[in-house]
Amino acid sequence: MNEAIRMQISAFTDGELPDNEKELLLRRLSQDAEMRRQVAEYLAIGRAMRGEKPVSGIDSLRDRIADEIGAIDSETSKDSSTDSAAAASSDARVTRPLAGFAIAATVALVAIFGLRQVSEEAGQAGELPQAADIEAGFPTQPEADNVLDQYRLLHDAEAADSSMRTRFTSIEIRGDIADENEVDGAAEEDAVPADPDRELMPDTE
Amino acid sequence: MPGGSVHFALRCSAMVAGCCSLLLAALPAQGADSPSDWLERMATAVQTINYEGTVIRVSGDRAEALKVVHTVSDGVVREKLVAQEGNGLEIIRNGNEVHCILPGRKSVLIEEWNDQSTLFSTLPTSQVSFGSEYDVRIVKEDRVAGRKALKLAIKPHDDYRYEHRLWLDAETGFPLQTQVIGTAGQALEQVKFADITLGREIHASAFMPSYSTEDFRWYSPPRRQVTTVVDSEWSSDDLPLGFRIASSQQEQMPGSQELVTHLLYTDGLANVSVFIAEVTDDKVAARSQVGASNTFSTVRGGRRITAVGEVPAVTVEQIANSMRQR
Repeated sequence: MNEAIRMQISAFTDGELPDNEKELLLRRLSQDAEMRRQVAEYLAIGRAMRGEKPVSGIDSLRDRIADEIGAIDSETSKDSSTDSAAAASSDARVTRPLAGFAIAATVALVAIFGLRQVSEEAGQAGELPQAADIEAGFPTQPEADNVLDQYRLLHDAEAADSSMRTRFTSIEIRGDIADENEVDGAAEEDAVPADPDRELMPDTE
Repeated sequence: MPGGSVHFALRCSAMVAGCCSLLLAALPAQGADSPSDWLERMATAVQTINYEGTVIRVSGDRAEALKVVHTVSDGVVREKLVAQEGNGLEIIRNGNEVHCILPGRKSVLIEEWNDQSTLFSTLPTSQVSFGSEYDVRIVKEDRVAGRKALKLAIKPHDDYRYEHRLWLDAETGFPLQTQVIGTAGQALEQVKFADITLGREIHASAFMPSYSTEDFRWYSPPRRQVTTVVDSEWSSDDLPLGFRIASSQQEQMPGSQELVTHLLYTDGLANVSVFIAEVTDDKVAARSQVGASNTFSTVRGGRRITAVGEVPAVTVEQIANSMRQR
């Protein structure tokens, strides 16, 4: 990505890009994942600097990109209309996450988190539970109930001292669990609360 | 801060770039240091320097901002990370004890993390086989978060591991920006400071929770139940070059009685965990990806084998498929 496009994206995220250039950029955004990442990064910086004020016009941006992607999907589906029923069924399975991923790129623009990346079935008998399918409420099951997430957390703990990696996986998993809003009261009774009186940080100073 | 601040900042940085030759000339005699010296300096900086700032993390198409304050006093790390959007998650660390505050849930989860920093683990330079599995070199001088930085690239020799790019503060060696680069050259994950203050004393009040946790519920997850196994009956007969066993143990899965064998393989930089468990379903094989982390699961010798690691998909797949029971 050259500097001119970078500046264009920057101007766009600040709402300073002229309408005619905006049209062109929107088209490019719908087709260029790297560019979408760049926009998401600038928006995150902007939000941090502005103290979370909403970005002007971001809703219409989301809709526009979703429309663009929808149009591309429609054209693609027209081209593949002669596929067999079995292939169509297979396509549906493959296309849904891909389309979801593309839409999620726009979702990232408005900072609605929760996207986990594409999963791909490798065997014919199904797949392990995916990170995106976490259903557990945190208080009911403090440990993630998804076996892959448990493995990731254990890997995180075991590898933490000896790699370039960070605790972001743990943060992500905890954050996603925190996003769950429903509390199962019955299961909550099974949870073992820690001592509520304990303090991590001293109250001094 | 006005809405045009990012654009303004970029315009400024473009002007700064125009003065690049002056900056290069102004760099001190660090140019004589080798990449390994810089990595050592980074490891020291991560463990010893106080810092506070705003971190932008990009993973795939997802970007989020976190405020971070971090201090080390008498070897004890104190740290606070606050998600600037979404669920408002706060992570407060005092030594190894970590409190994850979930304001939406009115809950606090207590964990124990043994690493020195939530953002950066130290680089085990003595274990990385530079020249064998990776090459490391200084790419250029750059600027990140308004500070002079040296960009380092750690490039793998094959497609079994990722490239890492580091922008180290020219003055201290602190990592101002890191990227994990996929085999196709795309940035899979990035951590970048948008602004940072290094080396300043930080008041204890900066580490207090932003929320009153008086009426919050506190939870302590089950501790890891680990039994070290000296010699596992499971091993790989086709490890990618440079990977070796780092640990081998049995542990109980949280919240259940199930025992799994957990093997950790490392090439000194990348790690892959292999979990060997009972087969509890009829699933044949599956893979998934979260950022730079890949998993692959299959069935071997009547056991479920799952490989997890920050390596390309081909690596976890090969390792999982190569596991054999003696």
